[in-house]
Amino acid sequence: MTTTDAAVAATSENAPVTAARRQHVARSLVERYGLVILFVVVFVAFASVWNYPATFRSSDNVQQVLRSQAIPAILALASILPLVCGQFDLTVGSVAGISAITVAGAITDHHLSLALGIVLALGIGLVIGLVNGLLVAYVGVNSLIATLGVGIAVSGLVEWYAGGRSILIATTGSLAKVGSRNWFGVPSLVYFVAGFAVVFYYLLQHTPLGRYLHSIGSNATAAHLVGLDVRRLTLLAFVVSALVSAIAGVLYLGAIGSASASGGGIPLTLPALVAVFLGATTIKPGRFNVLGTLVAVYLLAFALSGLSLNGVESWVQNLVTGTGLVLAVTFSTLAAREGSP
Amino acid sequence: MGRQLTSTFHEVGQVEREQALALNLTNVSKTFGVTKALDGVSLQVRKGSIHALLGANGSGKSTLVKIIAGVESADHGSQVEAGGRTVAGHHTSPAFARETGIHVVHQDPAVFGHLSVADNLAIGRAAGYDAGLVAPIRERRVHRHTRAVLDRFGLDIDPKTPVAALGPGARAMLAIARVLQDQEQDTGGVLILDEPTASLPSAEADQLIATLQRWAAAGQAIVYVTHRLDEVTRMADTVTVLRDGAHVTTRQAAGLTEEDLVELIVGRSVAEAFPPSRPIVDAEPLLEVRGLCSGRIQDLSFDVRRGEILGIGGLLGSGRTTLLSTLFGVRQPAAGEIRLDGEPLAAGGIRAAIRRGIVMVPEDRSREAALPGLTTRENLSASRVSRYWRRGRLDHRLEAREARGSIAEFLVRVASDAQPFHTLSGGNQQKVILARWLRLTPGLILLDEPTQGVDAGARAEIYRLVRTAVDAGASAIVVSSDPEELAKMADRVLVISRGKLSAELTAPAVTAHRIVEASFGSAHPHEERERP
Repeated sequence: MTTTDAAVAATSENAPVTAARRQHVARSLVERYGLVILFVVVFVAFASVWNYPATFRSSDNVQQVLRSQAIPAILALASILPLVCGQFDLTVGSVAGISAITVAGAITDHHLSLALGIVLALGIGLVIGLVNGLLVAYVGVNSLIATLGVGIAVSGLVEWYAGGRSILIATTGSLAKVGSRNWFGVPSLVYFVAGFAVVFYYLLQHTPLGRYLHSIGSNATAAHLVGLDVRRLTLLAFVVSALVSAIAGVLYLGAIGSASASGGGIPLTLPALVAVFLGATTIKPGRFNVLGTLVAVYLLAFALSGLSLNGVESWVQNLVTGTGLVLAVTFSTLAAREGSP
Repeated sequence: MGRQLTSTFHEVGQVEREQALALNLTNVSKTFGVTKALDGVSLQVRKGSIHALLGANGSGKSTLVKIIAGVESADHGSQVEAGGRTVAGHHTSPAFARETGIHVVHQDPAVFGHLSVADNLAIGRAAGYDAGLVAPIRERRVHRHTRAVLDRFGLDIDPKTPVAALGPGARAMLAIARVLQDQEQDTGGVLILDEPTASLPSAEADQLIATLQRWAAAGQAIVYVTHRLDEVTRMADTVTVLRDGAHVTTRQAAGLTEEDLVELIVGRSVAEAFPPSRPIVDAEPLLEVRGLCSGRIQDLSFDVRRGEILGIGGLLGSGRTTLLSTLFGVRQPAAGEIRLDGEPLAAGGIRAAIRRGIVMVPEDRSREAALPGLTTRENLSASRVSRYWRRGRLDHRLEAREARGSIAEFLVRVASDAQPFHTLSGGNQQKVILARWLRLTPGLILLDEPTQGVDAGARAEIYRLVRTAVDAGASAIVVSSDPEELAKMADRVLVISRGKLSAELTAPAVTAHRIVEASFGSAHPHEERERP
């Protein structure tokens, strides 16, 4: 919003300047909504002109994509908070994994109640968030290294507990119902994504907390010198991220109906980060933002779904995801450089 | 109101002594988006002369320097001529600059903080590193070379010191030494210095200026970008002034006074640039400091009276910044007592200090105050976000309205309150930081080098804004390396030397001369270089 407002507000009677400004505004519109436009183009292309357009736009396929991307979307939202204050959280996937295995183990292996299982999972998430936050904010360990290490260690714990097993939960249980049903024709998990998106959007845009986290991410020293408790706020970001990841793990279990050692960890973390970075190139270019992240998650998901319907092999999908991310960030970097004096 | 200057000094001819030109720019323009940063500027720099390039922040000086350095290309239609070669302005490159002997020392010198002084001087160019990319570095030669360069510039620094541990003064000297080291014999190129003395104490600045004058006498062409007008009248041969991206004038420096220069830069007379200082005698003290020990500060006692601007002078590293950060709660004092309004200042850190009405504008704007990616509005609000928390959400409308109010009140020049902070010029950034704190209507305003990297026009406005706040009932402590600034701004000046009070001067007896005298009174200048 910044560049457009600035351009519009700069008033001048000069005709050539007006033309230049119009061009400038047009460019910043493209910059802001490029990814959204791409989303529409990709969707329309697969839904109308390519092979199997009917299959692509069928409600089964759309629902399948929406459902399968719900957990990555929630994890992406979870990792926004630490990223906004300038820190990576590479544990989101691992936390989701250990959370799912904890609940499955509690109710299947130990016959505990679902509520107790969820409390346990959230407790573990809380501990991991605290460990991350203490290491990064209070000890001063680089967040990339600290959370990479913690994430791997957590995956190790999951493997120790689950071994090669896949722990099933009863398909008639309330968790499986919540995770796999459609409510009003929309997969239940989508409501959770929407709920978290609203909460995070509100936190980041409409509360002092969000402003504080943005300030810390912009310049932690300056944030400290305006009286913010930088360390405690950073710790809080990690704790919230881990708790939301833990909830995502519980929902993941509900959706899949089972948990295993291969279900979480870094393979679940990376797509989340890809989406957040891709999302930062749109809506509010240069800032990690909730709407952009959701656009990115579903742009990639629908693109990959269309490709696989057309028989494209999986290596192409990785190629598309990787180059897509690099290209989007490159264009956005170039655009930012062009626009500023 | 503006005095007629043009009759007194003749314009330097466009093609006068063409063959002696070291650098010749013709019709340089540069457009960023909708703004024209430079508009048809021409610049001729003669060999063996010091050419001062002046202008307010945002006047286009930095852009021009970037184009000369080849890091930014000009719009079509311009020409750059240097070292006997000519290139179109939109085709300049760092390689062209290097090949034609253009050396630029930027305002934020690119030094490698965690490498040693020796490595910083030697890397990529000099003795010891020349054996090949993977051949062992010849440490002894590097060391010898470093010693030689440091001696030549009178820098008393251990070559093994990491650069990050040096103060800004020593870092700036080092950056210039790095560029100059290869040029000793060859004076064919152009040396471009972007505010080299901005963070230097005057003794070190004088030393640098003497060096530059020696170089110029030997035939070196020097382009000198600065805000310190006293230096211009002292050392420059030629002066070029830019305003709003356009060339205002190029003339000989001889005979120009600082007032003339300010008038050329600002484009209007700046009478009343400094609101008058006055001694405050009978007022009761707002702040009482007794026996304070903190870092370099040893057993310091003083008062700040209500409605007073107290200046703190002294050399870099004398403990001035430590004093301010102790008062602001950034660091805890080792001993001593601080009372505000008669009540002891409890150990509670920065938040407690702000609650008691103490605010601080820190020394290093980009490192300690700026929130670069955020908007001007968000930077203004940083000190009181919670004020806008109304009925469960941030009241963005109220915030924007108050931001526009502050922008008008503090004379910040921005397109809108949503303009990203890092796109503002230095002077406007500093006004935003000042406004961020003054809108809290504080009781005690701590200002650390409030006009560093700020142009003459904005500087006068900042003085006035501070004086207005003080007249409205606040008190202020101003730390400055510029004795002239302290003399004009403060009602009373304390000079600190090596952590101790060395002099107290009260208006109208405060003069730059006496401040400098007291700063050097008990300390040897070259012992002072590390930051506290």
